[in-house]
Amino acid sequence: MPDPLISRLKTLIVTTLKLEDVTPAQMADDEPLIGSGLNLDSIDALELVVTLEKEFGIKISSSEESRTALASIAHLAEFIRARADPARLPR
Amino acid sequence: MNAGAPDSNIAPVRNPGPGWGFRFLCACDAVLPEWLFRPLRRLGTAAAIAKMHAQRANSRAYLAVVLEREPTLREIFRHFFAFEEFMMLRLRVARGLPHRGELAPDAAGFRELLASGEPALLGTFHFGHSDLTGFLIGPQERRRVFMVRQHRENSHDTEILGAHFAQWVSFIWVNEPANLLFALKEAVATGGSVAMKCDRLGFSAKTEAFQFLGARRIFPFTIYHLALIFRRPVILSVGLPAGPGHSTIHCSPLFRPDDAGKAANLERARAHFQEFLTRIEGWLHADPTLWFNFTPLNPPAP
Repeated sequence: MPDPLISRLKTLIVTTLKLEDVTPAQMADDEPLIGSGLNLDSIDALELVVTLEKEFGIKISSSEESRTALASIAHLAEFIRARADPARLPR
Repeated sequence: MNAGAPDSNIAPVRNPGPGWGFRFLCACDAVLPEWLFRPLRRLGTAAAIAKMHAQRANSRAYLAVVLEREPTLREIFRHFFAFEEFMMLRLRVARGLPHRGELAPDAAGFRELLASGEPALLGTFHFGHSDLTGFLIGPQERRRVFMVRQHRENSHDTEILGAHFAQWVSFIWVNEPANLLFALKEAVATGGSVAMKCDRLGFSAKTEAFQFLGARRIFPFTIYHLALIFRRPVILSVGLPAGPGHSTIHCSPLFRPDDAGKAANLERARAHFQEFLTRIEGWLHADPTLWFNFTPLNPPAP
């Protein structure tokens, strides 16, 4: 049974960043998001951060924090679980 | 606001001069009469041309493109001296010299923005009096403006301007691109307008090619991506000298992100930027010294 938060994050990443050559199903949980892996640049990262903040009511306020959060989808899920109101998380 | 430590070891030197240079000019300006100080500044400019080989070569290369011939040494001198005189004006405005920025009759976009009170992303260029426009608009229109600046050893001119206009202008000092974006996010969240330069590639995460000075050249395009992310309008502006104590501010129409989707918005953004670049090119053909471009000209697209 896939983790609903991880599934939601994969869909959000693909739709927010309009990724054309990758589907949510193709994304590995431990794939790096920045630099290698999906090869997102800093503007992509910012766009993703703004979307995540709206979706989950969290705050990511520095590049260090975003680097930690966006290290991989699994890291991102862990980061959001630790900060978001559980009512906003997908079940 | 500080996006990255102001570390002159990291920052590439663009318009190098001694760290004490601006302080020296301020001191001379305070004690020397203009009839004596101006010829001394011309001598200083000549010395700078002799000493700054890279900047001289870049000025020559840029002027050759605009003029479509090799520039004379006199034309290179005029280019350097125009920059020096603008630096002097900045220092004088910072010390309280009255100076007003008047909106050009065609600056409808800026008027609309000022009337609405809406925060915006202000794109500007190393061109004419543009560097002063944020300082002038802030207090004149009572708008809080954040300016993105790279910290260098010789940032004294910017620092004293910032101190003089501190009520309306804040800086986002940046030496690291990733930090810049988060500092911008914070500035936008506080409801301020953010001014950033759109002609040098240094810290731009997104670039695109535009027709400029006879070639498709690479320009920063980050401002439009930020507009889409934060749903803020973009306005491009430049300040032109308009006689003693005045600058005229020319600007583009407002670019507003709409709900048409990212690709359609970026397509409109490209047309918006190209239109303003074409206007800048027109001004440069009339007076090539307006663009303070002592770095390599924006490279042609591969």
